[in-house]
Order: sequence, then C-alpha cells, then structure tokens
Amino acid sequence: MNSLGVLMKKEYSQVLRDFKVIWLPLVFVFLGATQPIMTYYLPVILEVLGGTQGISIDPTMIEQTGGQVLAATLGSQFDQLGIMIIVIAMMGLIQSDKSSGMLAFILTRPVTVSSYIGGKLVFNYLLVSVSVGIGYFISLLYIHFLFTSVELSQLIGALLCYLVWVLFSVSFITMLSAVLNSQALIAIVGIITLLICRMLVGLHPMLDAVNPAGMSQHAMNLLISGSIGANLSINLLVTIIWVLLTVIITHYWILQKKFHES
Amino acid sequence: MLTISNLKKQYSNKNILNGVELKIEKGEILGFVGANGAGKTTTLNSITGILNPDEGTIMINGLTASDDLEYKKQFFFIPDTVNVFKNVSGYDWISFMLKLYDQEQTEKLSYFVEQFSMEKAIHKPMGTYSYGMLHKMALIAAFTIEPPIIIMDEPLNGLDPRAVMTFKDCVKNYVKEGGTVFFSTHLLDIAEKICSTVAILKDGKIILHEDIQKVMGEENTLESIFMERQRE
Repeated sequence: MNSLGVLMKKEYSQVLRDFKVIWLPLVFVFLGATQPIMTYYLPVILEVLGGTQGISIDPTMIEQTGGQVLAATLGSQFDQLGIMIIVIAMMGLIQSDKSSGMLAFILTRPVTVSSYIGGKLVFNYLLVSVSVGIGYFISLLYIHFLFTSVELSQLIGALLCYLVWVLFSVSFITMLSAVLNSQALIAIVGIITLLICRMLVGLHPMLDAVNPAGMSQHAMNLLISGSIGANLSINLLVTIIWVLLTVIITHYWILQKKFHES
Repeated sequence: MLTISNLKKQYSNKNILNGVELKIEKGEILGFVGANGAGKTTTLNSITGILNPDEGTIMINGLTASDDLEYKKQFFFIPDTVNVFKNVSGYDWISFMLKLYDQEQTEKLSYFVEQFSMEKAIHKPMGTYSYGMLHKMALIAAFTIEPPIIIMDEPLNGLDPRAVMTFKDCVKNYVKEGGTVFFSTHLLDIAEKICSTVAILKDGKIILHEDIQKVMGEENTLESIFMERQRE
C-alpha cells in the first residue's frame, strides 16, 4: 500500500472514532428531508398552530414540481446550513495536526506533502460527497411521494454539478486549515467567504462564470428548467482551477514549514 | 553515513546554529550533548526536515532532503514529544508506522514489545500512556523498522531503569547489525555507557566530536569533560 493509501486509511479510522462518519450523513439526511416536508405540510402546520389569520400562503406552494423542490433543497438547505456544517466538520483537518505536532511528526516519515494533503482531501471529500448524496436522495424520496418525480438524468446531472461546488468548499477549508492557526478564525473566514460566493450568484454573468458557487446555481437550473446553463463548461473549468489553486497554496504553505514557524 | 556542513539557522535575528559541522560514520553511537538552548533540537529538526536551515547541507548516505521519500527512508526520528492519535491503540499506531516504511508486521515487533514490557499496554489507547510509555512505543517502532540511522531527541526521558537497560541492549544489537544511532541527551552518565562517540554543541557550533573512551581517558567522566568545555 502506498503512503496515500495508508494516510487515507488513517483518515478513515480518525473519522470513525470522531463519529463524523455517522453524524455528517445524519445532518444531511435531516436537511434533505426538511425542505419537501416543510413545503408540503406548512399550511397544515400553521393551521394546527392556530390558524393562518394574517398570513398569506401561496396556494401554488404545494403544487411545485419535484425538480423545483429538489432545487430548493440544494439552494435553501444545503447551501446555507449545509455549508456551515461542512466548514465546521472540516475546519480542523490540518489545523489540529499542526497544533498537536502531528503534522511535523508525519512529515518526518516517508510521506510526501502531496500524499498528506491528498489523503486528507480525497477521503474527506468522499465523506462529504456521500453525506450530501444521501441527503439528496432522502429529499428525492420524500419529493417522489409528496410531489412529482424528477427525471433521472436531471437529478444525476444536478448532483454532479453540485458536488463540484462541494469540492471547492472542501479544498478551500483545507487550505484555510493549513494557513490559519485558530479553528474559530477558520470557521468564520470559511463560512463568510462561501456564503458570499453563494450570494453573489446571479448578479452578473461574468461574475457567475468565475464564481465556484455558480456550479450550485447550474445544479438548481437543471432541476427547475431541465436545461444546462450557457456558461456551465467555463464555470466548471474555472472552479477546477480554483480547486487546484487552493491545493497549491496548501502544498506551498506546508512545504515552506510555515506550520512550524508560525 | 550522515554529513552536516556549515549548518546555520537563525530565529528572530538570533543565531541558533553557527555553522555546525558533523560527520557520523556507519556503526557509530553518537551522544549529542549541549546546554539548554545550545541548538541540539534545532540541529535534529533540520536533519529530519521539520525546519528549513538558512544555510548549509545535510546528507544521509549521499541523499539530501530534496530526495524527499528516499531521504526520509534513511532515518527514523523520535522527537522529544512523541505525537500520537490519542484514541488509537499502540498496536495500531505501530502498524501505521510500519506501513509508512513499507514494512509488514514481523516477529521483531513482538520481540521488542516484550523487551520493553509493553505486552499489556499495546492494545490500549495511546491517550492513556505515560510520557515514558510513549517513548517506549516510539523505540519499539524504530528498532522494528530498522532504518539505516535512528535519530532521537532526549530518548531516555521518562524511561524507567529497566527500559534504559533494554534501550542500551537494543542500541548495541542494532549497531552490531549495521545501524547507526544519533541521539541528544542530558543524561551524561548513561550516555558514557552507551555511546561510542560524543559531540558537544556550544553556542551553535560543534566544539568536540571524538571517541568517548579517548576523550575521557582513564580518570575523567563525560560530565567533567562537558563542564570543562562549557567553561572554556
């Protein structure tokens, strides 16, 4: 087994012991189920809680298509609470190794900086992707029973687009975890930056093309309209460049031993 | 085996290493001594790649840090504080170390676990280990992996007298089989019994590197030699 494999196995045992492998998918299951249930039962819930006097509910709300509700799951649940949860789950990836001295200890073994970062990034991205995927399909399950079904090609395509945005989020937090020394600072900078990226979507087509959160918008558009946005390929390419840039900065930072002298 | 030439390192405009020159031959057991702040840990951290030196070259068996993996395979480093995953058992931690060095578990591992009396503790989480037990685990890993050179920063700290005896035996056997040992210590009485050579670091420079018997002669102790050199 090469060092990347060994380090990924180590990451696996670490998340198993931290129960991250259990609570992260559970959070996304909850987020995934919330949107269709709330959308469908909101009028009933309000009625039970004392009537709807003074509150006007859009009568077409429960007539939404499955694609629209699934898009709302991505845009309202995963892109807000979901992103915050990802940041909190990932903020200690490298920072905790730095503060405990484990990073220096591991890097004096026959391990390259690339394998170390690769092990962290690949395993944790897989964990987040599986969690998002499970939440997405739980949402789909409720949508199937409460609303209309979604075309298979659309839901797979949308998930793949969304996972590119998730890849950027994970690599960005990994970079912050290498560069910054305080978990609180990593969380604040991470959450604010990613939420700003998400809020900027739709302001200008040029901005959308270079904004990694544009991939989330493409996923939603695909679910709502069934068509792919014009600048998807440019946005995909730029997001991959952003991801590579975060990995290069992480690599450079660790290689320059800035973890030790900071 | 290990050659250090003109090694320099500065921290906050203070020179810690002022051109360290050291050559360690295969089969040597070198005790690296010096006062607090002399630069011993900085030297060891520079050799193992934790620090980037400002100047100078370090070579192990003709390889430099730029050879990355091949260079790192030449040594096993035991730092002063052994960092572990607290909820991982000693056994899993050693298995992880062995895999990083492309090695499988062998009878050697069981042998060293027994030698250091860690049979009962090895399956417990390392978070429950004492400082000395963590050092024992690192020593077990080092002797099982058997790299060309074992580099240690204060390896005797926290070890009980029996473990010190075991350490002594293991070092001698390891060197007999072709290994080299380089360790820093403040325990000069133990160092003079284990080491074949001694190097004294003062103000970031090696002021003595000699055969230990030759330097002590018949009347001196390593402690008296060290004190004499510190006063000069």
